[in-house]
Amino acid sequence: MSAIGKMMATREAQKLWRNKSALLAIVVIGIYLLTALFVMAGGITRDTCDSIVGSNKLPGFFQQDSPEKRYENATTKFLSKIKRALTAEDVTAALKEVKLGPYHAADKSPAELETLVAKIDTLAAELDESPNLDIDPSILPKLAELEAAESQLKAPLSPWEQFVHNASVCLGTDSQGRSIFFRGIYSIKIAIQIGLVTALFSVALGAFLGAAAGYFGGWVDHVVVWIYTTFSSIPNLVLLVVLAYAFTNSAAKDTLLPVYIAFGATFWIGTCRVIRGETLKLKEMEYVHAAQTAGFGPIHILLRYIIPNTAHLMLINFSLLLIAAIKSEVILSYLGFGVKNQPSWGIMIRDAGNNGDVVGGFFWEIGFATALMFVLVLAFNILSDALQDAFDPKHV
Amino acid sequence: MRCKTHLIQNTFRNSIQIVNDNTTQSDKPILKVRDLRTSFKTGRGTVTAVDGVSFDLYPGETLGVVGESGCGKTVTNKSIIRLLPNRVTIYDPGSVVDYRGTNLLGLTESQMRAIRGNEIGMIFQEPMTALNPVFTIGWQIEEALQYHTDLNASQRRARAIEMLRLVEMPNPEKRIDEYPHQLSGGMRQRVVIAIALCCEPDILIADEPTTALDVTIQSQILRLMDGLKEKTGTAIILITHDLGVVAQACDRVIVMYAGQIVEMAPVRQLFHNPKHPYTKALLDSMPKPGRSGHQKRLPAIEGTVPSLFDLPDGCRFADRCQHRRDKCEASLPELVTIGEGTQESKARCFYPIGDAQAVGEAS
Amino acid sequence: MWAFVIRKLVYNIPVYLAIIMLLMVLLRQRDPVAGMLGKNATEQDYINKREELGLNVPFFVQYGKLVKSIVTLDFSQKVWNEPGVTVGEKLWTAVPRSLALTVPALAITTVISIFIAMLSAFYRGRWIDRLLVFFAVLGMSVSFLVYIIFGQYFGAYKLQQWVGSPVFSIHGYESGIWNWPFYMLLPVLISVIVAMGYDTRFYRAVMVEETQADYITTARAKGAPQSKVMFVHMLRNAMIPIVTRVMITLPFLVTGSILLEEFFGIPGMGYVLLSAIRNNDFPVVEGFTAVFAGLFILSIIATDILYAIFDPRVRLQ
Repeated sequence: MSAIGKMMATREAQKLWRNKSALLAIVVIGIYLLTALFVMAGGITRDTCDSIVGSNKLPGFFQQDSPEKRYENATTKFLSKIKRALTAEDVTAALKEVKLGPYHAADKSPAELETLVAKIDTLAAELDESPNLDIDPSILPKLAELEAAESQLKAPLSPWEQFVHNASVCLGTDSQGRSIFFRGIYSIKIAIQIGLVTALFSVALGAFLGAAAGYFGGWVDHVVVWIYTTFSSIPNLVLLVVLAYAFTNSAAKDTLLPVYIAFGATFWIGTCRVIRGETLKLKEMEYVHAAQTAGFGPIHILLRYIIPNTAHLMLINFSLLLIAAIKSEVILSYLGFGVKNQPSWGIMIRDAGNNGDVVGGFFWEIGFATALMFVLVLAFNILSDALQDAFDPKHV
Repeated sequence: MRCKTHLIQNTFRNSIQIVNDNTTQSDKPILKVRDLRTSFKTGRGTVTAVDGVSFDLYPGETLGVVGESGCGKTVTNKSIIRLLPNRVTIYDPGSVVDYRGTNLLGLTESQMRAIRGNEIGMIFQEPMTALNPVFTIGWQIEEALQYHTDLNASQRRARAIEMLRLVEMPNPEKRIDEYPHQLSGGMRQRVVIAIALCCEPDILIADEPTTALDVTIQSQILRLMDGLKEKTGTAIILITHDLGVVAQACDRVIVMYAGQIVEMAPVRQLFHNPKHPYTKALLDSMPKPGRSGHQKRLPAIEGTVPSLFDLPDGCRFADRCQHRRDKCEASLPELVTIGEGTQESKARCFYPIGDAQAVGEAS
Repeated sequence: MWAFVIRKLVYNIPVYLAIIMLLMVLLRQRDPVAGMLGKNATEQDYINKREELGLNVPFFVQYGKLVKSIVTLDFSQKVWNEPGVTVGEKLWTAVPRSLALTVPALAITTVISIFIAMLSAFYRGRWIDRLLVFFAVLGMSVSFLVYIIFGQYFGAYKLQQWVGSPVFSIHGYESGIWNWPFYMLLPVLISVIVAMGYDTRFYRAVMVEETQADYITTARAKGAPQSKVMFVHMLRNAMIPIVTRVMITLPFLVTGSILLEEFFGIPGMGYVLLSAIRNNDFPVVEGFTAVFAGLFILSIIATDILYAIFDPRVRLQ
């Protein structure tokens, strides 16, 4: 870490800090990181993502229901739950159980509720006489009355609950009635988590093996090259899928562990190659020769003279691997081998694709997942470019 | 531009004769550079790398250009042949590079192409990278002939072999089909020289042609260039930071500092009677065989070259100068002529060395 | 050169053996038999099934059998999930379909992106270069999935609605050259768009590096016109990394694009492979990986040879 600190104070780093788009990218990545931390701290839980907030697919601000639909909403859903509770043996207990999205039964006596239900039923019966609510504007006041009565069945939401509810429907809901907004935001955490863990692991492993292979040469080099040639000779996606699939019968199958292992096993290769090449170059540098002549041991030279001088390559590779991890996670999850039982952008895209949303012209779910991923990946792409520009301008 | 039709005769020695007859020592300069000002657009603003350089180049002479790295010697010469990146380079509208009556800075790119390699050749510092690694050296010499002469393929090849022989490449018939990586550094530099000279240019710009070479190879290359100059009458601009090279190869010398000429003098005059304190300091920092060098340290020039982004108002050398006076920091001295005839030199200094009057006035 | 090829081949034998073993070990983390037999199977059924599939013998015997069949190029093992079909038949029908998609895609992408990259390098730093780089980065930041989903939605589904009759297939496949545009053109175009961002940027970096080389200055000092500098001096040098990149992608042509084949219902290699992994059809996965790994190693060797052809500095040793 101190090597990176030192690196950031160099003249090359000045070039990075002057690059406005890179700074913007860093700010964007910072916002994503903070969001991920917020989710991790319990800001959005898995339950929030899985709870059903409404059957309306369109976002809150686009929601413009027809009178027919409004009538249906007011006379089915919550009302039927209340009715069922009122007929239960222990009415008070049953009323406590009533829940629809954020709504609970109002804190009223069963008798009061019965009155309200009766009123609603009367209004509904009157409205039923109209052949088509959608083309008859004269029924609108009555419909409003009906809705007002229905809302009295519900306990009023606190301002916070109202805010959360508004937020959860602000981008609409998916085909199962779950909040697109919350699922998308929660997926940030998944993406960042997978990205950070696999990138850190892969860079560390790749740098260690690469530096050792390059510096020691001989059989160490042969073994490392042999391992990475083996891994890269299996098509990447096949390896990823087979690795992820190998865990389907183990206890870890619902965690992210299979994903980590699949990515970790394949992603270190690129870094290892680069660091090995750089080490071969650095090994012939005079200051390394000087250190060897001074009698420092190989471990000391590796840690003090070689690895710190590959820090810029590690940083660039880290950034590139983060992108690769985030993008691969989406594809793997889409294919059903990645994230399971929790939201991720890949799963959101799959849901949107499979449930006919896209064919039906409903792009909110796929759109939000794509947009969130696009901005993050774009920011990392810009940052990687800037890093490469500043620290490794000769790179092809 | 003129096409070198006489080369079609295909016998190089004859053509040397022709050129040689024309080049008797003439007093008319072949190249007149006037007030050359070259600036670059950079991320931190515009920076003037060459600031008002003027000099003449006469046929058959070798003009040395010396100075530390970044002093503008390479930019000056790349400005002459217009090899700087067009997009970021600004030539001051008042600047003139007059070659045979044409201002090169006013030519179009395609007119300029007919000059490059044909009328003005250039040699570069790094023979290891100056040649294209994927083509044979023969191909690379013939390419220049293809652009500037009407020779057919076999004539071009014969001419290329002849050029290789001229630059003293051993076994040229065989070497012509070799790739650059098969040659040593010195041999490569000979190839670069052969490319630059194959169309018999009037002017050869050599940018540190020997810096990357071993000392023994260095003097071979310098002698080769000198010999070729004698044979062809080509005027040479020799850019270097090595005063030893200057002493061996040049007739006249320009000393540059921070984008300006600070001294211009015949080579003898410069070495025996330097006028500018910077020239003096450069000479003093050179090891001399006669001196008892064991005890004395070589004097180095204190301080560093001012940044081109932040130039002082006064003399650009002032803060490193041992003879600095108040006036030096207040205003920038002009390049003035000192002495006459063979003793004549020009220096950009208020108090040139050996000028008793100026020194007396100040004290 | 032949000595070089043989030495390289020998050197890669342990790599190849390791690939096969790695894959077999990974596959055998799952038990295929349970899925095939269902819940009511008896212990004896399991034993019989294992025996039938050859899973009852020790791992190294299975390994030896597979290696032997690869060495003798014998792909006549039975596919587990389709009675009567051999792995060889499965491969030879699926691979050409994948190639019909991937080869045109690679060719088009490479040509277009080299062209764009040269344009970009030529105008380096100017608005046109910035715009091209910007679009490349933008293109790289969108998920492959999204390209496919929207490509399929607008390119096939919506286009069909607007035109009134199907222009491109939404899902399905028929072989035959005249059917190619209907079934393959849209996937190929999507594939080109996806790959273009990456390739353009890579080739641009190559070109930019070459434009800064000293030999370019030498060529200009000779009086070479810009076209000669770009297309003779620069492109010839840039061919070295270009060829490397293209060669490295060649083996992946046979894997096809798993995602494209899934979405467009093209029964190519990616599709076959994915369903084989899902259904634990070991012989298909193993046979296919064996072929792919062999191609991969051969292409690495071929890259070295091409390298020596394009770059006179390189000697095969």
